[in-house]
Amino acid sequence: MTVWTPSDDGYADLSSHGTFAQGAPHNTFARLRRDDPLSWTDWDGGAGFWSVTRHEDIVKLNGNFELMSSARGIRMEDQSYEEYLARRTFQETDPPEHMKTRVKVAKAFSKPVIAEFEDQIRELCDDILDPALEMGTLDATKEIARQLPMRMLGRILGTPDEDLPWLVEKGDALIANTDPDFTDHVLDKMETDAFRMMPFNSPAGAELYQYAKELMEHKTAQGDTDGILNMILQPGRDGNVISETEFRNFFCLLVAAGNDTTRYSIAAGIQALAHQPELLSQLQTGDHWDTAPDEIIRWATPALYFRRTATRDFEMHGKTVREGDKVLLWFSSANRDDAVFDDPFRVDPARTPNKHLSFGQGGPHVCLGMWLARLEVRVLFEELVKRIRKVEPAGPHQFLRSNFVGGIKSLPVTVTPA
Amino acid sequence: MKATWILPDGQEITAEFADGLNMMEAAVANNVPGVIGECGGNLSCATCHVYVDAAWADKTGTPDEFEDAMLDVAEAPHEDTSRLSCQIKAGAALDGIVLRVPQV
Ligand code: HEM
Ligand code: FES
Repeated sequence: MTVWTPSDDGYADLSSHGTFAQGAPHNTFARLRRDDPLSWTDWDGGAGFWSVTRHEDIVKLNGNFELMSSARGIRMEDQSYEEYLARRTFQETDPPEHMKTRVKVAKAFSKPVIAEFEDQIRELCDDILDPALEMGTLDATKEIARQLPMRMLGRILGTPDEDLPWLVEKGDALIANTDPDFTDHVLDKMETDAFRMMPFNSPAGAELYQYAKELMEHKTAQGDTDGILNMILQPGRDGNVISETEFRNFFCLLVAAGNDTTRYSIAAGIQALAHQPELLSQLQTGDHWDTAPDEIIRWATPALYFRRTATRDFEMHGKTVREGDKVLLWFSSANRDDAVFDDPFRVDPARTPNKHLSFGQGGPHVCLGMWLARLEVRVLFEELVKRIRKVEPAGPHQFLRSNFVGGIKSLPVTVTPA
Repeated sequence: MKATWILPDGQEITAEFADGLNMMEAAVANNVPGVIGECGGNLSCATCHVYVDAAWADKTGTPDEFEDAMLDVAEAPHEDTSRLSCQIKAGAALDGIVLRVPQV
């Protein structure tokens, strides 16, 4: 049994969300890396785009923000300047402007600050795993993977527990806005014009804006100092305080970016346990906790690509990219590039070095939440493998219908307790 | 040019590399453990933190405002001679520089 075998014919349409409903089209990525590493796709939903698929090229371009701007959108969809201004977060700015906001929030997400959460995460894992595993046969995405990041989000934001399902629903609607399971406003299927000025093209964005505003007012009024968000509201060493718009944008970004990505990393790890039987005993040795989380996150690659826009004409692989062209950096492809990874379709918990690009490594936007994501993944799998003797598939798993977020949205498994 | 990294256990790595790299890139190219550089030298990750040997500190200059703030984000304590090594350009003036990799 292999852990997962790609099934596309090597010529999948990368602009189609439906393509990814069977998992990422890795035969297509392999062909592109080999024969057409800078490849053009026409798209009927907007301007066409370039795809970059080799690890080496992605690292080079992602580090070059002067050529590859984030300030004209970071997803495949086109947006006008007005839309961009209405919706942007610091993720959609370039250095040096990007840095002004990022330094205000970086400390709160630094490795030492995040490390303080380990005990809390472990307690949450106890609460989640004990009842879930008792079910015997369960949807591991729903009962396990979805639970931990959602509850941690509450700790970070300092929001009441009863608000969490609502927040997560809105966050999913923002980011999985091409899968009908998660939103009423499927981006490529419906008229979304009315929502163009809202964060992420979605009414959920407007609702989250309102929630963030009220939360901030409430916290200020109460002198409440719970949660990481309060660190961000404190004046920096230069005395500058984050603006209200910056705060609300950041709030939406956290709800959207920190939740489903971690969820789908955990789901992919459980899928790997179910399909690659030796993995469980490898993890149970306890020898691989320094390296296994990154390998699970490589295997998952929840952010399939991020987009940049060319700021001037340039040549690459014998082709000319024009100023204003959209360029998609396919982290999903880079993470299976056999020029960098031996046996890329095997989950090797001891893999060292592991130069995966799941967090957008190599560029100024490298994931702000990477230390939190790694810690959540490590602690969850430490606690999970302790408790079980076996995980087996209990039916086919289903991928999200999205070319942007890669994830297993339902994962039926049967677990045998230790 | 040449540089020496002193690891937390006292082991030293001396390597020769081209001018024009930054000291994070030079460390990564020479497999210096503990210098990672996850943001590719863009001042976003603080995983390239080093302590500049006191004898070299005035030659490397001092961190700018953003670097100084990002030094607070690093895993090891922010000391007087702390630098994010991606912000130090290799070049003749630094030939022979000694950098300490923090204990984390
Ligand atoms: C395994 C889980 C995660 C994955 C795979 C992931 C992936 C990514 C990627 C690829 C980027 C770079 C985007 C770009 O280049 O434009 C990014 C940025 C970001 N991530 Fe994550 N992320 C994860 C977890 C988290 C968590 C837990 C949080 C926060 C709680 C978070 C918050 C952010 C933010 C705020 C940014 C924007 C940073 C910037 O633009 O400077 N992420 N993430
Ligand atoms: S490499 Fe990221 S700050 Fe130096």
